[in-house]
Amino acid sequence: MMQPLSVRECSAGQTGIWADVLAQAVTGELIGALNYQTLSTLCQNPVEESEALEHAQGETGHAASFTEAGKSLGIEVMVNLEARYWKRIRSSFLARAEAGDLIGCILAQEVMLESFAVASYQVVAKSAPGELGATFARIAREEGEHISHAVQMLQAERARDPHGFDAKVQETHADIMTTLAQMISPKNQDCGCGLCAGSCVKASLPQAGVSLSEVRGASLQRYLRTLDEIGVPSESSLVWVAQLPV
Amino acid sequence: MSDFALITHFETWDRAAAAISLLRGWDRPPISIEDIRDILPWIPPRASSRVTVGSSQGRQVHGVCIESFIPPDRLDRRFLRENLARVREAAQVAVREGARIVTLGGFSSILLEGKTDLLPSHPETAFTTGNTLTVALIVRGVERALALAGRDLGESNVLIVGASGDVGSGCARCLAPRVRRLLLCARNPDRLNQLASEFPNLTSRVAADADVTRLSQDADVVICAASMSASELVLGGLPPGSIVCDAGYPRNLSPDFVPRQGVVFYGGLGQASGGIKLSPDFLPIVYPYPLSNLTHGCLLEGIVLAMEQRFEPFSQGRGLITPRRVDEIWQIARKHGVVLPPLFNGMGPVEQDLIRLRNPPR
Repeated sequence: MMQPLSVRECSAGQTGIWADVLAQAVTGELIGALNYQTLSTLCQNPVEESEALEHAQGETGHAASFTEAGKSLGIEVMVNLEARYWKRIRSSFLARAEAGDLIGCILAQEVMLESFAVASYQVVAKSAPGELGATFARIAREEGEHISHAVQMLQAERARDPHGFDAKVQETHADIMTTLAQMISPKNQDCGCGLCAGSCVKASLPQAGVSLSEVRGASLQRYLRTLDEIGVPSESSLVWVAQLPV
Repeated sequence: MSDFALITHFETWDRAAAAISLLRGWDRPPISIEDIRDILPWIPPRASSRVTVGSSQGRQVHGVCIESFIPPDRLDRRFLRENLARVREAAQVAVREGARIVTLGGFSSILLEGKTDLLPSHPETAFTTGNTLTVALIVRGVERALALAGRDLGESNVLIVGASGDVGSGCARCLAPRVRRLLLCARNPDRLNQLASEFPNLTSRVAADADVTRLSQDADVVICAASMSASELVLGGLPPGSIVCDAGYPRNLSPDFVPRQGVVFYGGLGQASGGIKLSPDFLPIVYPYPLSNLTHGCLLEGIVLAMEQRFEPFSQGRGLITPRRVDEIWQIARKHGVVLPPLFNGMGPVEQDLIRLRNPPR
């Protein structure tokens, strides 16, 4: 795998790759911000509402940090909230919100999307040049705090009705995780996601020292461990993950 | 709560892919070996199926299979640290499942053979490698093979490959007083010499060497019990008409190896006549043979101990398997309906082939 380069050494070809990576990250963070804002409207008390709005602000801050880090590489980061997979994820989230499904929304955002964010940012941080690497690493840590916060709450929720809870996780997984899996599938290399400036960035990631296999594997691992912490039976989550698109 | 837990790992990539494809269901395309190689190393150890096993005494015991997801091509010393971490995590899953006895099957037993302090400690959970019942089934398999071939164990030269390992040394202790010559082969000369020194009264009948080809020339029975990361063993120089028991997991013998006018059978396996049910049912994937209720002796040891309500670390460490302990676990196993299966290998049943050894071709 190629060694990460300093800002000064980032080649034109690599700049293009990092531009596409940042487009995904910034769009994902802004979708997260919208999701948390929506979540705040479902909260049952002012404390939870305030926390959700704080998280929304946090995600917006992450998007700004990525954008700034991109500028230091001479990158003008593209944002597209209508990008195919992110739009689908947002629509799924809104459908749950409209149904008043607070737990489904938390599972979608704070377990599934944040697991993906934490793991993929950690992988990317290892290869991202200079300031960008540090930014990915910092934001990965901060996103990890969202997961920890959600786990405690979801453990309590599961204790109230384990069967109902697990059914909800399964249903949310089939929706959100399927979309994420399709988005990062190595086989889906012309996915027309609407965020890559040229051809699909997935084929080029190795040139920037990023392994898509590692992104996918680390994301699945983080997700499975989070479900384990919540108390979801591991043989159930194994089946659900086995059924994802590859 | 579970009566027992079985910590497992896939022997080959195609079996891993088949197992995951089973979980995917018939309505999704099966996962390719290329994809499973990519994904499997990332899956944390976890429960994979529920097990119910019947005793011929009437009761049933209920357990859980915990898949360690050790990649099939990383079963060697280069990956020792990560494999130990996986096995330890799998053991922690077993403790959380409330298992009263846990078998560390196959390669996962390396943890118990040397590093018991890495096991999670819990007053209600005992750990066993299952190696004692494995030895019992191997020895009884060899006895059956020789009987079918019309041969006498006392007239046989028995070579044990992997002799200094826990299973290999257990077989050596059981067979040393009973065979004409005992030929011990292992990589580590210190451990090999230490094993040979256990038979001071048999020095003229015991030979030890790291060179398997040299020892093969004198062997008419071979037990393959080495910890090998791939099925690569070729027993060059083996005389015609030899009987070979492959008890490795993964198999020791290269698929290309065929003994001249001899017979290979798979050892260390048993059948639970009271029935084994898995859900999801991985048995046909792990044991793609036309024999029902078949599984490895190491896994059966934890199961029969649960049936006997003996939740104790029956097999631990290395070098502690004695003929007395082998007989003890075999009696327990027999009591609960464990039997030696008809002898077979990957091509099918071999008992007729063994009978044919009585009249070797000119």
